[in-house]
Amino acid sequence: MIGIIDYGLGNLTSVAGAVEKVGFEPKISGEAAVLGDCGKLILPGVGAFGDGMRNLRQRNLVEPLTELVMKAGKPILGICLGFQLLAKKSEEFGDHEGLGWIDAKVTGLKPDDKTLRIPHVGWNELYQSADSILFDDVPDESLFYYVHTYKMEPADPSIRIGECDYGGRFTAAVQSGSVFGTQFHPEKSQRYGLTLLRNFLEKS
Amino acid sequence: MLRHRLITVLTFNDGTLFRTKLFEPDYRYTHNFVDSWLVDEIVMLDVTRKEGDNRAFLDVVTQFAHDCFVPLAVGGGIRTLDDVRKFMTVGGDKVVVNSGAVERPRLISEIAEAYGTQCVVLSIDARQTDGGGYEVYSACGRNATGMDPADWAKQGEDRGAGEIMITSIERDGSLQGYDLDLCRRVADAVSVPVLVLGGAGSWKHFVEGVEEGGASAVCTQNIYHFTENSILSAKKFLAERGVPVRL
Repeated sequence: MIGIIDYGLGNLTSVAGAVEKVGFEPKISGEAAVLGDCGKLILPGVGAFGDGMRNLRQRNLVEPLTELVMKAGKPILGICLGFQLLAKKSEEFGDHEGLGWIDAKVTGLKPDDKTLRIPHVGWNELYQSADSILFDDVPDESLFYYVHTYKMEPADPSIRIGECDYGGRFTAAVQSGSVFGTQFHPEKSQRYGLTLLRNFLEKS
Repeated sequence: MLRHRLITVLTFNDGTLFRTKLFEPDYRYTHNFVDSWLVDEIVMLDVTRKEGDNRAFLDVVTQFAHDCFVPLAVGGGIRTLDDVRKFMTVGGDKVVVNSGAVERPRLISEIAEAYGTQCVVLSIDARQTDGGGYEVYSACGRNATGMDPADWAKQGEDRGAGEIMITSIERDGSLQGYDLDLCRRVADAVSVPVLVLGGAGSWKHFVEGVEEGGASAVCTQNIYHFTENSILSAKKFLAERGVPVRL
């Protein structure tokens, strides 16, 4: 079973549908005990960083999830806001502390080309900057669907496995041990999105 | 490089797809439609004119969303966060608000606060005025609001709309091309992406929407354009004219 973490934010149905499509059984839950029984976890999410952390705390998920991921090494994939929440801190609407599983900081996208619109919405490249099991059968520079206003930059550049360009390069995917994350939405990126998701579920 | 999107808008009346040449609605075509046809995004709108009961539409969205691995925006009659929750639960990735936001602009901020700005598409229907300007209409084009579309778009952005969809009422179904002046006014007023709808009748209208209208995404409702390879054909046409698209 694949645990999809329900913390009151995000397109859980879409993520569950994609997990099912690539041949796995999704379990949407906000209970630490249920998630603990799942082989792998997905932290989806759209919305604001502060709300995301508040909701995770209110549901008493931060400590048990940290235990499962950082101590027990259960593989996790953070998507979009779920990817940014992996960071230590964020500057979105004031300073917020994140899950801190990755030494990284979330800041606003500031394209050097002022004609570029914010949020960054639509299909854009994923440049594979390092090898990863996520990229098996995914051609370099494939297009993925992005929708975000903030970006997460890890302190250690070696965990950055993918980049995107929107008036400057930013981190689009990370892998640090069994912690994976993508700024784009694999569940909404058609064929290669599903391939990447299947890679995580099969190979992580 | 970010690609310009080609978005298909599907409208439903009491759960039945209409404004098409399909006499028999068959939602099973979605597999081909979404997976093989390179559509970038889909908008599903419920335009049933009776209040309250949208179960038939929710059923259709549920079936559709199950096999939809591109972004899906859903709307029609949204007035409360509870309405939004229903659409998100059945598989929407974002919601489209129109009359509900005109009646109570705070609705935009409420959705943005609960689901993030990327979740709110503010849809604006506008008509030309005698003085050469434009006026926003609500309730499927029935009620004049006295508002200027560019001003309303800017207000929507300030309240938390992540995208603006601008529709020309006169051009709807005309196949004469988008109202580029209207689109440009709105695109110049906001910094969020603008989606243009209403009037596309040929591939060259898509190019105009991007280049002259300043749109980030071009939309069409007339899905009878879209049989077999037509999305690919439209996108090739755009690419040949220098508009970056996903092929």
